[in-house]
Amino acid sequence: MTRRTFLKLSALAGAAFAAARIIKHLAIRSTIPVQASGENTINDKWVATSCLNCPTRCATRVRVADGKAVKITGNPLSQVSEGENCPRAHIGLQVLYDPERINSPLKRTNPAKGRTIDPKWVPVSWEQALSEVCDRLKLLRERHQPQKLLLLRGLNTISDEDMICRFADAYGTPNVISADALENEAEKSGGWMADGNYIHSAYDLARTNYILAFGASILESDTPLARNLRMWGKIRRERPNRARVVVIDPRYSVTAAKADRWIPINPGTDGALAMAIANVIISERLYDAKFIRNWTSGFDKYKELTLNYYSPERVGVITGIHANTIREIAREFAVTRPAIAWRGRGATSWPKGSYNSYAIFCLNALVGSIDVPGGVIYQEKPEYRSMPKPVEDSIAREGKAKPRLDLRKTSRFPAAEVVTNQVADSILNDSPYPVEVAIGFNSNFNMSAPGTWRWDGALEKVPYYVHIAPFVSEMAEYADIILPACTFLEEWSYDHTLPGSGCAEVRIKQPVVEPLGDVKCITDIVFEITRRLGGTVAQSFTPLGKDTEGFVRYRTKTLIPWEEFREKGVWVGAAYQYYKYDRIFNTPSKKFEFYSSNLETRLKETGNGVHDRLACLPHHEDVEFQGERDEYPLVLLTYQPLLNVNNGSQNYPWAQEIFLVMHGVGWTNFAEINSRTAEALGIRDGNMVWLESPFGRIKVRARVFHGIHPQAVSIASGQGHYADGRWQKGVGVNPNQIIGVDYDHISGQAVFLNTRVKVYKA
Amino acid sequence: MRQEMARWGMVIDLDKCVGCQACTIACKEENNIPHGSPQEQKRRTEIYWNKVIAVSNGKYPTVSIDFIPMPCMHCNNAPCVTVCPAKATYRREDGIIMQDFRRCIGCKYCIVACPYGARNFNYKEPEEEEYHRPDPPPSRSQRGSWPFPHRVHGVVEKCTFCFHRIDQAIKEGRKVGDEVVPACVEACPTKARTFGDLDDPNSQVSQLLASRGWTRLREGMGTEPKVFYLPK
Amino acid sequence: MKANFEPIEGKSRSYSALVMILAILSLSGFVSFIISYIEGHQMFGSSNVIPWGMPIVMAIYLIGLSAGLHILAFLIYMMRQEQYREVIRVAVFLAIILIFGAMVFIALDLGRPEKFWRLFMLFYLNNMSSMFAINAIFYTAYFISAVIYLISLFLNTKRFSMIMGMVAFGWAMLTHAGTGAIFGFISAREAWFSPLSPFEFIFAALASSLALLIVLLVIIYKFTNRRLSQELITSLGGLVKGLLLGLLLLMLVGELTHIYSPARDATMFMLAGPFSWLFWVFFVGMGIIVPLVILFHPRAKRSVPGVVIASVLVVIGIFVKRYYLVIPGLAYPQHYYPGKIEGVWGATGSFPITPAETVLSLGIVALLGLLFILGLKYLELLPTKEAAEEVPKEVIEEGGEASEPVKA
Repeated sequence: MTRRTFLKLSALAGAAFAAARIIKHLAIRSTIPVQASGENTINDKWVATSCLNCPTRCATRVRVADGKAVKITGNPLSQVSEGENCPRAHIGLQVLYDPERINSPLKRTNPAKGRTIDPKWVPVSWEQALSEVCDRLKLLRERHQPQKLLLLRGLNTISDEDMICRFADAYGTPNVISADALENEAEKSGGWMADGNYIHSAYDLARTNYILAFGASILESDTPLARNLRMWGKIRRERPNRARVVVIDPRYSVTAAKADRWIPINPGTDGALAMAIANVIISERLYDAKFIRNWTSGFDKYKELTLNYYSPERVGVITGIHANTIREIAREFAVTRPAIAWRGRGATSWPKGSYNSYAIFCLNALVGSIDVPGGVIYQEKPEYRSMPKPVEDSIAREGKAKPRLDLRKTSRFPAAEVVTNQVADSILNDSPYPVEVAIGFNSNFNMSAPGTWRWDGALEKVPYYVHIAPFVSEMAEYADIILPACTFLEEWSYDHTLPGSGCAEVRIKQPVVEPLGDVKCITDIVFEITRRLGGTVAQSFTPLGKDTEGFVRYRTKTLIPWEEFREKGVWVGAAYQYYKYDRIFNTPSKKFEFYSSNLETRLKETGNGVHDRLACLPHHEDVEFQGERDEYPLVLLTYQPLLNVNNGSQNYPWAQEIFLVMHGVGWTNFAEINSRTAEALGIRDGNMVWLESPFGRIKVRARVFHGIHPQAVSIASGQGHYADGRWQKGVGVNPNQIIGVDYDHISGQAVFLNTRVKVYKA
Repeated sequence: MRQEMARWGMVIDLDKCVGCQACTIACKEENNIPHGSPQEQKRRTEIYWNKVIAVSNGKYPTVSIDFIPMPCMHCNNAPCVTVCPAKATYRREDGIIMQDFRRCIGCKYCIVACPYGARNFNYKEPEEEEYHRPDPPPSRSQRGSWPFPHRVHGVVEKCTFCFHRIDQAIKEGRKVGDEVVPACVEACPTKARTFGDLDDPNSQVSQLLASRGWTRLREGMGTEPKVFYLPK
Repeated sequence: MKANFEPIEGKSRSYSALVMILAILSLSGFVSFIISYIEGHQMFGSSNVIPWGMPIVMAIYLIGLSAGLHILAFLIYMMRQEQYREVIRVAVFLAIILIFGAMVFIALDLGRPEKFWRLFMLFYLNNMSSMFAINAIFYTAYFISAVIYLISLFLNTKRFSMIMGMVAFGWAMLTHAGTGAIFGFISAREAWFSPLSPFEFIFAALASSLALLIVLLVIIYKFTNRRLSQELITSLGGLVKGLLLGLLLLMLVGELTHIYSPARDATMFMLAGPFSWLFWVFFVGMGIIVPLVILFHPRAKRSVPGVVIASVLVVIGIFVKRYYLVIPGLAYPQHYYPGKIEGVWGATGSFPITPAETVLSLGIVALLGLLFILGLKYLELLPTKEAAEEVPKEVIEEGGEASEPVKA
């Protein structure tokens, strides 16, 4: 080697060394942590509040470090779920810090409205926004047409809902529409037909020994979910005798996966199965004779019906379940007491869903599981401090006397408390009158209702729409003004548990952080609007406190001292009392009715008459599907996976990335098709397919799966968002876009499950 | 039984587990773990310290699907500890397999060697807004080998049995396994997960292990994991 | 012994062009590295399923190529195969360049390359039960001994060269056995787990390095107007043939053992799975069978073009083998629990070819090429043109002592 060579090599080495040092320097810089000053002392506090990512509203505690919410955990003082939360509670952090939240009121500058049309939002001040909204509201009242104000409610806190309903009362509009008829109104009406209580059923899970679940997603979506999850652990492994669970569902749901037995059933035939089970129980004399004799009426008609028309053999053909299996299940159910027959959305979201619900609910009475430990129980309500009656003027009184847009309790929907999906058609038809102003509170029916195209049309038509929510959802795209609401972690409210635990429980919501951006709580917005409207409307609200905190404090005064409530986060009512047979039956006979006199009365009142001898008895009717079987061979079923956040948005990566646990994937949903069906159609796992119904078609990935009935296709709901949201937009598909419009006419429940589809490769 | 000399283990009851994945989310929440994206899931560069897998058997109508939550197994005979050249991963006295970010050179040998897929590599710098928190668990004075809140790309991370909670609890004299447990155990609504001292015959984990037959994953690998599964 | 090696002139146009091209490629490789350093390994094709990518494949390949060349030292000093003396300097220099390249690849594959020094804190900050740490001993010792050996060759010391040659050979074998052990000792990867792995690696290395040497010699001698002895090439070809047979035997035994449970599933994935076409066509077919056919054919094995073709196929084939071991080897989804694992957790891994990774790999290889041809120009590596023209016939025919080559 020459000297020159050596020098050159050394220079090269030197340069390399220098480069390495530079790189190392850069690297060190990137490893120096970014720390707040004084990092050893972090201001740390725990705030008791509650969740609102589903209607369960579980109590939570939130840890706030240096003004930032960092952790959500359960509140051990809550009895409903014994302090546990479901995964959605933790997603509250991403709801709070959602990058797509709005920070100021927005005004639409593009007059054109439509699904793909850019509203061209312009930020405006609260003053401007509110004065514009109130001008419109004043105008309506001046014209003596307050009924043309439509209030739409999505998932809100109970205190907000109380405020909204009171506002409607004071203002004079009967048109307050909740999302309930998209959930489980048919479940409620079935129970009402039997015992006069139009409520979601509660079950004494901790003590039950047998659960027969009809289309119920107990471990995925049935509320109160956190309670179901906690009790599951308890009744399966924390007691000497393990509860047995049998799931009847066309789909192998998570609940079916964890149950002792999954029995696939032909879609829509749950009512028949319930009647056949009743047949077996009655014919083999396995029913609770004492309860039947003392506390029920109409048993003879019921018995005659089941014994004559619902033999296991006949029903076996209808349901696709072998008659022996039906007998087995029936006997098991009847002798393993206390047992619960649980009716879920899979059984009730059908055109005759109320009757399915009634038939299943009656099984509980047959085995004496009404208001007993381990059976069906009746949720206590908290006794909030009652508000003075709203001050009504003549305008309000007249307005409220007008017919309602959703046709509830009319001859079309005789028992319905609300018929959410009807409103879209009413708006489109201007019947019974056109809507002038609509206000949506966290609503998103353009995604969540069947026949989404009608909501698009209806919202386009409404002349003035105000949307109140923390983010711009699909429904908000049609708004003229968006008023940004705070998220549930930034507001004051009271929430009570929906039926589940039996005893009443109220949870507080208090701000864990200062509201982010220029946002207001819904209650504050309502207060502000009423102040501006003045008159009787304002007078109805002045006694209730000046603002949200004041209102919550006012209402909970009779329950618990304020400071104690803020610290504990929950108020738990008295322990549940069983055997309240003298009080729980709101029926003419004061008993559990196998022949519904309540329904008979209601039918007559609404001009329906009772022509059919079956009209007031639980029974099964063959499903009328939307779409002919030859052209559309498969039934489209939808379900709510656990990580579907019910607030109208799915812009939460923690939920999205593990969305479907059973299939081990996230960031998508797909059409789950039975393997043999798929093979016959030439479809392989992962192929893109078209799912076509009589109402449209969507392109979706196929998932060839063993856990679905051969005649059904199943899609998880909650995806298919097209509103802005970097973690939700364009992810998956929304099956509601191709589901047709049908109702369970008794309750007004929107039917999700009777649309037929055909599937073919894309 | 002094908690410093404990041998920490976890018991997961597969009968109680309902695949809700609260554990996965709570773990991300507790440990400041960045979330993924559709592209990252497709490319499998996401980070999960705890994952819940679904295992299926059978054909319609006799299908069965089981949900198996999988944190790091904190093996007694950990293959990752054997192969780490830089002593970045090592077994602590109380049995927890630790990960020292300062020492990790990102060679990914441990990811290759782990039979449980418990380890993850940081493939990118996470965006500041995704997850930056003011309170790294624990605070820096106690941190030792805890990752900086501002994660850097190029190192490997994994479940730590929430050692920061355990250390804090021991310092404060609280009982680990009863009062203080890892985030996943705390978050599980069915109480399917239990944590505690395997060497303490009175601990909940010991009692559960005696109550019925247990298994561990990939027993044939000889790793002696300290996460036990109670079957359905 | 009279010095009869000289540097090449390196003044021709094609030489300068080659230097330019290699320099540009190296630079782009460097740029690619900087990008991946800033953006993270998301720029590469690796994932949490297949954490190792092209850099590791290239690293183990280059180590093999490097270590295998020292068999020549063994053959010269122990087997008295004097005909290789003329190429020993080129071979050792090439080996040094290649091991340097391998270490660069390893350093660049690290998630945090600036911490590469931690790999060398032997017994102090290193966990010595890790094959990476043990390999650090081997690679360092090998590198140093190879450099000393080359220097001893330059200094024409006879006995010291022989000792260093054997030492370098020893470390070379340990080095590559260690590389094989990186894979062979991992029980989690059932297709890799085997005590034969170090030996498979050594045989593959020897075959590929000699094949590479054949190809390079033919090219260099052609471009520098040196006469290449056909017997030299044939004898190197014969060595390659024997090594391929040895490799084939080892692989046969290894795979057969794995096919009997419990590694059967993973092995069948490797042998008959979605990527197995790579294995059968490009490695077994093109990399072993065709070369063996050529090297057994009575006429082909004596022709330089025939041996060169076989060598090129072996070089590519062994590369494919390395690639196939690492990447499809890691793609096999691990069976955490009996049954079918649904979704992403049970899916086969995928490894996209990414531009950053490809440019980086090509860039470093280009850098090695650049260093090599610069070395040819500035170091006395190649035999002088006169000396190369004649190969001492007495050596080949009688197997006697090395004697002075007859000067033309």
